[in-house]
Amino acid sequence: MKRLIAGFLSVCVAVSLLMTGCSSGGTDNTAQTDGPVTITIWHDKEDEVAQALQTELDTLAPDIVVKLEKKDGLTDSLKMVGNDPNSAPDMYFFAHDKIGVYAEMGILAPITDFVDKSTLNQYIPMTIEAATYKGEVYQLPIYFETLLYMYNRRYMSDDEVPSTTEELYKYMQENTKGGHYGFVEQHSTAYYAAGWLHAFGGYILNENGKPGLDDENTIKALEYHKKFVELMPTEGEYSTVNTLFREGKAHSTIGGPWLVPTARESGIDLGIAPMPTVDETGNKIAPYSGVQGIHVLKVAAERKHDAIAKVLQVLTNDSVGIAMAKASGCAPAKQSCYDDPVISGDDMVMAMYDTAQDAVPMPNVPEMDVMWTVTENLLVDVNMSGKDVRSSAQAAQQQAESLIKQMQ
Amino acid sequence: MTRHQKRMLKQAAKQICLHILFIVICFVTLIPILYALSVSLNADNSLVSSDFRFIPKNFTLRNYVAVFTEEPVMLWFKNSMTLAVVTVVISLAAAIPAAYAFSRMRFKGRKPILKQLVLLYSFPSVLSMFAIYTLLRPLGLINSKVGLILIYTGTMAEFGLLNMKGYFDTIPREIEEAAEIDGASGIQLVTRIVLPLARPSILVTAVMILIYVWNEYLFATTFMTGAENYTLAAGLYSLQATEMSGSWPVFAAASLVVSLPILIVFFAVQRHMTSGLTAGGVKG
Amino acid sequence: MKKNKKETFWAYLCSAPSLLLILLIVVFPILYTAYISFTNMNVYHWFNFSFVGLKNYKDALFVFDSGFLAALLRTILWTVLNMVLQLVIAFVLASLLNIQDFKGRRVYKTLLMIPWAMPGYVSILLWKNGIFNSQFGLLNQWMQKLGLATVRWLANDVSAFLCCTVVNLWLALPFMIMIMDGALQAVDHSCYESAILDGANWFQRAYFITIPAIRPIIAPSVLITVFTTFKQFDVVYLLTQQAGAKTGANIHTILTYAYENAFITNNYGYSSAVSILIFAILILFSMVTSRKAKEG
Repeated sequence: MKRLIAGFLSVCVAVSLLMTGCSSGGTDNTAQTDGPVTITIWHDKEDEVAQALQTELDTLAPDIVVKLEKKDGLTDSLKMVGNDPNSAPDMYFFAHDKIGVYAEMGILAPITDFVDKSTLNQYIPMTIEAATYKGEVYQLPIYFETLLYMYNRRYMSDDEVPSTTEELYKYMQENTKGGHYGFVEQHSTAYYAAGWLHAFGGYILNENGKPGLDDENTIKALEYHKKFVELMPTEGEYSTVNTLFREGKAHSTIGGPWLVPTARESGIDLGIAPMPTVDETGNKIAPYSGVQGIHVLKVAAERKHDAIAKVLQVLTNDSVGIAMAKASGCAPAKQSCYDDPVISGDDMVMAMYDTAQDAVPMPNVPEMDVMWTVTENLLVDVNMSGKDVRSSAQAAQQQAESLIKQMQ
Repeated sequence: MTRHQKRMLKQAAKQICLHILFIVICFVTLIPILYALSVSLNADNSLVSSDFRFIPKNFTLRNYVAVFTEEPVMLWFKNSMTLAVVTVVISLAAAIPAAYAFSRMRFKGRKPILKQLVLLYSFPSVLSMFAIYTLLRPLGLINSKVGLILIYTGTMAEFGLLNMKGYFDTIPREIEEAAEIDGASGIQLVTRIVLPLARPSILVTAVMILIYVWNEYLFATTFMTGAENYTLAAGLYSLQATEMSGSWPVFAAASLVVSLPILIVFFAVQRHMTSGLTAGGVKG
Repeated sequence: MKKNKKETFWAYLCSAPSLLLILLIVVFPILYTAYISFTNMNVYHWFNFSFVGLKNYKDALFVFDSGFLAALLRTILWTVLNMVLQLVIAFVLASLLNIQDFKGRRVYKTLLMIPWAMPGYVSILLWKNGIFNSQFGLLNQWMQKLGLATVRWLANDVSAFLCCTVVNLWLALPFMIMIMDGALQAVDHSCYESAILDGANWFQRAYFITIPAIRPIIAPSVLITVFTTFKQFDVVYLLTQQAGAKTGANIHTILTYAYENAFITNNYGYSSAVSILIFAILILFSMVTSRKAKEG
C-alpha cells in the first residue's frame, strides 16, 4: 500500500514538473497587429551577401521591417511548413531549381501578382526563363552564377591557357606529376560533369522532365571525359579539389565564384578564362547556371500583399543587383546593372556574365530532384569503379525513369 | 624484501602498466579531436592540408575569439542549457516511476508493453519528422522551446524507462521489504531506499539525456528558426563549412567549445556514480 | 485477484506520464507514417492527398530487389560485427577502469567520453576529411612517411566498410563503456573476493560472475544499440554516399539504399510504405533473433 502511495506521489511530481515545463518558455506566435509589417525572408547565403541585401531592404523601415533569417536545410523545411502561416516565411531567397517542386506543391505565388510584367523585360532573358515554370514566373531574379575556368598564373601563364579540351589534356599530361596536377575538378558530381555533357549535346534532364543519361551524346561525353579523370585525383569532392588548387598543387580548375575569395586569400595569382572548347563538337564546356532570387510564398501573398510588393519593388533597383553582385562575385540578373562601371569594370563579374552566355540553366522541374543522385551514381560507376559506360548509362537511365515514375 | 614490500612493488608495477595502457588508448581515441584542435589553432583557413602537423605552424587563437565574438554562442549556450535541464528533469521524473513500476509491479500488459517499447527503436527517427510536425503544429509548438522539449522528453522517456528498469531489476527486493517491515513509509521507501540505491543508474541516464539534447541538431534546426533560437548543436550546424561558405578553423574551434561543458559535467558527476549498493544502501 | 487489479492500476498510474510521452512522440509518428503510406501524398498532391489503397506497397516492392537484399545482408553483417566489437572492447576497457585502487581513472574515463561529447556529424566530417582523405588524410600522410603506397580508404568496398566500422565504434563506444562501467559498479565485490580465494582467474571471474551479474543491467541498452546500429544512416552515408562526395564504394545499408531509391522521390506516401516495410522486416528480424536466443 505504502509503495503505491509513493508511486502516486512520484506521478504527481512528474505531472507537475511537466506542467511547469510547459508553461515556461512560451511561444511567440502572436498574430500580426497594426504597426509595422514584418516580412521574413529565409535564405542560405553567406553573411556578406545577406548583409548587403539587408542594407538595401532597411530603406523600407519603419513601415516594413524585413527580417532575413538564415535557415539550414531550407528546402526541406519549406516542404514541411510551406503552407503554414505561423511557421512559414513570407519569402525566401534561393536558387531557381526548386521552383517546380514548390509550384507543384502549391506553396508559391507567381511574382507577377506583385510586379508589373513589363519590369521583367528589363532582366536578362535567361534569368526569367529559369524562373518560369509552366508559364508562370515564380522568382524575381537577383543574380546568377555558374562555374568558371580558373588557373594559377604562377604555373600556367596567360598564353598557356588551353582554348580547347585537347590542349587542356596535353597540358595535363605534361604537368600532372610529383604531387602536382595540371587540372582538377569535381569530376564525379552531376553539377560539374553537366558542362561536359552539354558540350557534346548530351543532357541530364530535358525541359520535359525526360532523363537523357543513355542519350548517345551523353555516352560520348562520358567516354571522352574519362581520360581527363584519369589524370585527376580519384577523390573528386570539393575539399580535395579546392585545397589542391588553393595550395598551388593544381594548376587549373573549374570552380564556382565562392572559390575566388579563398583562393586570393591563399595568395594565388588567379586568372579566369573562358571554358575550353571540345575539339570534336566545337562547343564550349557549358556548365549549369543557377539563378538566385526571391520567391513569394502563397500563405503570405494575400495577408501581406502590399508590403511584399514594396519589398519586391526595392529589389528591382539597380543598386540591389550591384551590391549583391559585388558581395557574391556573381553577375546581376538585371540588364541595366551592366551600365554601371562598378559592374562592367569587374573582371570576375564580367567573366561570370560571359561564361553564362553558354551556360545551361538548371532544370527547374520537380523531376530534377532525383537526377542529382542517379547521375552521380553513374559518374562514380564510370569514373571511379571503371564500369562500362554504355551499360552503366542504360542502367542509370532505367533507374531515373523508375524513380520519376515513383514521384507521381 | 618482505612480503609486504613485494606486494607494494607488484601493485606499483600494475599501476604503471595500467597508466601506460590508458595513455595509449586515450591518445589513439583522441587523434581526430587533436586534429580538430590543431585545425582550430591554425591560421590557415583549411580543414585539410598536405603538410598537416599536430602543432600548427602559424599558431593563432583568432578562431576561438571569432567563436565568441562573431556568433551568439552564449545565447546558444543558454538555450541548450534550458532545454537540457528541463528535458533531463522531466524525462527522469516521468521515467523513474515508470521504470520502477515495470521492474517491481506485476500487472497485465507489462510484458507486451516492454517488448513493444524495444521494438519501437527500430523505426528510423528521421521519418518521424513530418509526423511530429503535424502533431506540434496545431498545438502552436513549432519554433518554440516547449515543442522541442516535448520531442526530447518523449524520446528520452522511453530510453530512460528501459535503461533504468534494467538496473532496478538488480536491486534485491529484500532490501525494500526489510525497510517496509522496519516501518518505512511509502515516500521514505522511495526517497531513502530506492532512489539512493538506483543513483548510479539515474545519473548515467541523466548524463545520457543531457548529451542527447546537447548534440541533437536535426529537430533543433528544422523546427527552430532564427539564430537567436538555436541550440549549440544547431548553431554549430549552421557554422558548418560548406563549399560556398564557412570557415573550417572556426567550425573546429566551435565544436571543441561545444563539447567542453559536457566533459566538465561528466568529470564532476563521476564521483557520485559509484553504486548506492556499496556506498551505504545495505545500511538502510 | 483484487490485489492484482490494484497493482495494475497503480503501475499504469506510475507509468502514465512516460507512456503518454512515448505514445505522442514515438508511437504516433509510426502510426501516422502507416496512414500516409496508404495515400498519394507527393509533390503533386502535397496538401490534397487522397487514399490510394495498397498502390504504394505494390510500387515499394520494386525497391526490394537484389540490391536491397545485398544491402540487407550487409546491414546484418554490419550490426553483428559492430555489436561484437563494441561489447568486447567496452567490457575490457570498463573492467580495466574498475580495477581497485586505479588512481586517475576519472581522467581517463572523461577523456574516453570526448567522442561522445561532440555532435555525430562533426566527428564524421573530421574522420572523413582529416583521417581518410586520400590526398591529405593523416593515414596517408603517415603511410607516405613510412614509405608505403597511399590507399584510397573509402573507395574500396572492404576498406570502406572497415573504415565505417571504426568510425561507428569510435562514436558508440563511449556510450557502451559508460553503461558497462555503471553496471560493473553495481556488482557486489564480495563475490569476487570469494572467487579469488577459490583461485579463479580473470576470464573465469568475468565469465562466471561479472557477465551474468551485469547482463540484466546492460540488456536494455544493448538491445537499443543493436537497433540503432541496424538503422545507422549517418556514418555510412556521410562517409561514402553523400551527394557530391561519393567515394565509389558500394556499401549501402538498408536505410541508405531506401534513401536513394525511395526517399529522394519526394513521394511521401511511397517513402512511408518503404519505411513501414523496413520496420516490418526489423520486427521480424528481432522476433527471430529473440526466439533463437531463448532456444540457445
